[in-house]
Amino acid sequence: MGGEETESGYPIHTHDVIIIGAGLTGLRAAIETVDAGLDTAVISKVHPLRSHSVAAQGGMNAALGNAQAGDSWEDHAFDTVKGSDYLADQDAVELMCKNAPGAVIELEHFGTVFSRLEDGRIAQRPFGGGMFPRTCYAADRTGHNILHTLYEQLMGRELEQSSGSKESKESKENKENKENKGSRGNEERKSGGRITFYEEFFVTSLVKSGLSYGEKGPEQGERCVGCTCINLVDRTLHGFSCRALLLATGGFGRLFTRSTNALINTGDGASLALRAGVPLKDMEFVQFHPTTLYGTNILITEGARGEGGYLLNKKNERFMKDYVPKAMELAPRDIVARSIQQEIDECRGFDDKYVLLDLRHLGKDKILERLPGIRLISMDFAGVDPIEEPIPVQPGQHYSMGGISVGNDLATEVPGLYAAGECSCVSVHGANRLGGNSLLETVVFGKLAGQGIGKFLSSSGSGARPGEEDGKADRKAVLEKLSKEAERVKALLARDSGVKMAGLRDELQKLMFESFGVFREGKKMEEGLEKLLKLKSRYPEVYIDNKSAVFNQALIYALELRGLFDIAEAVSRGAIARKESRGSHARTDYPDRDDENFLAHTIYRLEGPGAEGKPGRKVEGKPGIRPEGKPVLEYLPVRLGKFPVKERVY
Amino acid sequence: MKLKVFRYDGESGKGGKSGKFHYDSFEIESGPGMTVLSALFKIQEELDDSLAFRYSCRGAVCGSCGMLINKVPRLACRTQVEYLLKGEGQVKLRPFPGMEETVSWDPEEEVLVEPLPNLAKIKDLIVDMDKFFKFYRAVEPTFKPASKAPEKERLMDHEAVSELEKYTNCVLCASCVGACPISGKKGDEGEGEEAKGEIKEFLGPAALAKLYRFHIDPREADDDSRLLLANDKSGWWGCEFNANCKAVCPKGVPPILGIGKARREVQKLGKEPK
Repeated sequence: MGGEETESGYPIHTHDVIIIGAGLTGLRAAIETVDAGLDTAVISKVHPLRSHSVAAQGGMNAALGNAQAGDSWEDHAFDTVKGSDYLADQDAVELMCKNAPGAVIELEHFGTVFSRLEDGRIAQRPFGGGMFPRTCYAADRTGHNILHTLYEQLMGRELEQSSGSKESKESKENKENKENKGSRGNEERKSGGRITFYEEFFVTSLVKSGLSYGEKGPEQGERCVGCTCINLVDRTLHGFSCRALLLATGGFGRLFTRSTNALINTGDGASLALRAGVPLKDMEFVQFHPTTLYGTNILITEGARGEGGYLLNKKNERFMKDYVPKAMELAPRDIVARSIQQEIDECRGFDDKYVLLDLRHLGKDKILERLPGIRLISMDFAGVDPIEEPIPVQPGQHYSMGGISVGNDLATEVPGLYAAGECSCVSVHGANRLGGNSLLETVVFGKLAGQGIGKFLSSSGSGARPGEEDGKADRKAVLEKLSKEAERVKALLARDSGVKMAGLRDELQKLMFESFGVFREGKKMEEGLEKLLKLKSRYPEVYIDNKSAVFNQALIYALELRGLFDIAEAVSRGAIARKESRGSHARTDYPDRDDENFLAHTIYRLEGPGAEGKPGRKVEGKPGIRPEGKPVLEYLPVRLGKFPVKERVY
Repeated sequence: MKLKVFRYDGESGKGGKSGKFHYDSFEIESGPGMTVLSALFKIQEELDDSLAFRYSCRGAVCGSCGMLINKVPRLACRTQVEYLLKGEGQVKLRPFPGMEETVSWDPEEEVLVEPLPNLAKIKDLIVDMDKFFKFYRAVEPTFKPASKAPEKERLMDHEAVSELEKYTNCVLCASCVGACPISGKKGDEGEGEEAKGEIKEFLGPAALAKLYRFHIDPREADDDSRLLLANDKSGWWGCEFNANCKAVCPKGVPPILGIGKARREVQKLGKEPK
């Protein structure tokens, strides 16, 4: 592990760049920073290949025009903006869609095995809300294939750095040969880049330092200079010092009882950012996926409907004809999820809990070729073979459109702190994400974040290498944070009675699904928030029985839970204040979209005590925000563009 | 029903000492659809929060929760408790280290859960995956295209993709390594060679399947460089075709087939090691 030194008993690791999270975004960013010659560390609470990206099934949108000629990035952008219910920032969407074809081709060049058309080009399938079949896929294991590919790319770079010293032994001829083959095409790679993985490290806090390198005064000069972690293997605390830090921690699905998300998706990054004084954006927009397997809520890809699957109620009707007769099963997710929920609520579901997804008419061959993973999931987890029987499905939390507020350069308000992927909000998904756009976001914005960091850290950028004094101050700030975090962990472990972690977490998850689920209503949400605040007030009494130093998972759950409460409050306050229905945010008491008042992003931040928070108020940049700050809501106008705001009809 | 769980106290086992282990029995109410993973969570939440096991996706795609369940390496998340109690889905395996009876259990009443064999134990059901990933890295698992990147994608036909998919479906859960009678054994060359930095232990089915995946990728050079990377007893030639790997793979990956084909190719080239 590079740059390790021990001060006051804590190991401190120094790297140019720290990336928290090792899913698609984190790994794609790491490739970029390593290739820019930067010493990069990737920190993850699980092994990178266990990241939730691995579970992505259906595919990645890009206007390649392979499956049907005539598609263009503009059409992709229009579909995305319309799908977002016009809340996405149009310049950000343009950036993503323009970069999409290149991103898919690059993954193919990295070695990803995509499914193919007869002529050998990358295959594409239709997805909800798209005018063209635009979703590139690897059967129904697209995330798995891409995540493994990116990890393999980093393995190659790791091997090169470790054999760097042996390089002189290698014959020159051999080397030239290698360069000719060049796995990265025409792009240049700078030397000196390094990659180090810190696996099964849980990040407990971000560290800021008030001293600046440049001419800015110390007050405005607060930069993100590192983080503190617990090594799960032995519960030791580690400090990390860096010049730029990227949050790529994914979503917060585990805030809800029913979620397709991996159990590790506890929104850690959003909470870390919030506590570092960075605002969250559009947190009330939570995507409920229409088809999650009844019982376990494991995802059944939209690709199943893209390939032609039907949704049936208990009268054996394709009920989507009553909601969106043109688009039917391939309307966008928010609309299909609400339709299913309404069928269930109005007693046309099965056992008042689910509807059926019927694939039988696709035939055995197509199911085996295009949806083999879905078949296995259905058999393993519901005892249903979709070749013979329809799959029981219900809506479940799937994705967070909102997240850490960043600009198109993925930078947050705090210099040196970046966020990308699901944990961030650029915003490209607005009020509802189209299927196939999240994988796209990870690789496009992961790469851009890496490039942005590279620029920031270049000799001309404002994050140029710190002088010795600043470096010392940075490490001192890390050390100070370490001792604070040590106290927090110690206090948690010292408690022998109080509130049980698991029970409190269960109550929170149930509450969020009931009060802030598919359909929302003002009074119910107000009551929900009240209950939430009561639950939150019990968090300081949480205790665990497990005092072990080795793989103390109870301790990690307890630490994750604090973050879940942070996020829950952001989601619920944003949802209550947004008195309209837009995209995934569907209020029965405000059924219409209200562009006059709410064509705007919700900005949620914690402020120091005494600050007044009311919507629309301008807030000065405030360093040194206290962790138990007061929640404040503001609104930020949407950046419109070539697509005029219209009614959203499918 | 009861879950009989292997408990290993990682703290006493530090520094090469063999730590203390025992088995705990947990009484659990099992319902339809309950998986071994959800039973383990139930124990953690209600009975003993010190129980340690890896988890992530709970949907059989991330490969975290490979463990020995009723003496068969499986993913805990896709193994139904009731299914086991009914004695369904039995897998016939050739003898391997984990199969030895270490504790008595009643398969009609109990589910026995132990860590994967052939890997060092850290705590309870958590094993040290470092060696597994060291062998993974040893096969240089990075795509090495034969030609300069074209402007668009390299073309591939259906047959090539479906043959590749058999191997790219691997989730690196190490179930195959846990079930392999050869993995964990030292190779012929022994310690002396290891000191020179060479791995002589059998690389194992997962790493070899990964190597084979790159070998058959039509976008890579049509040469023998990948084949020769594992052309000894630690590689293709260490396998004794017990077929446990294919039998336990939760994703239907057939390492044994890839290894067999690789061997025949090496033989055709006349480059078989002595």
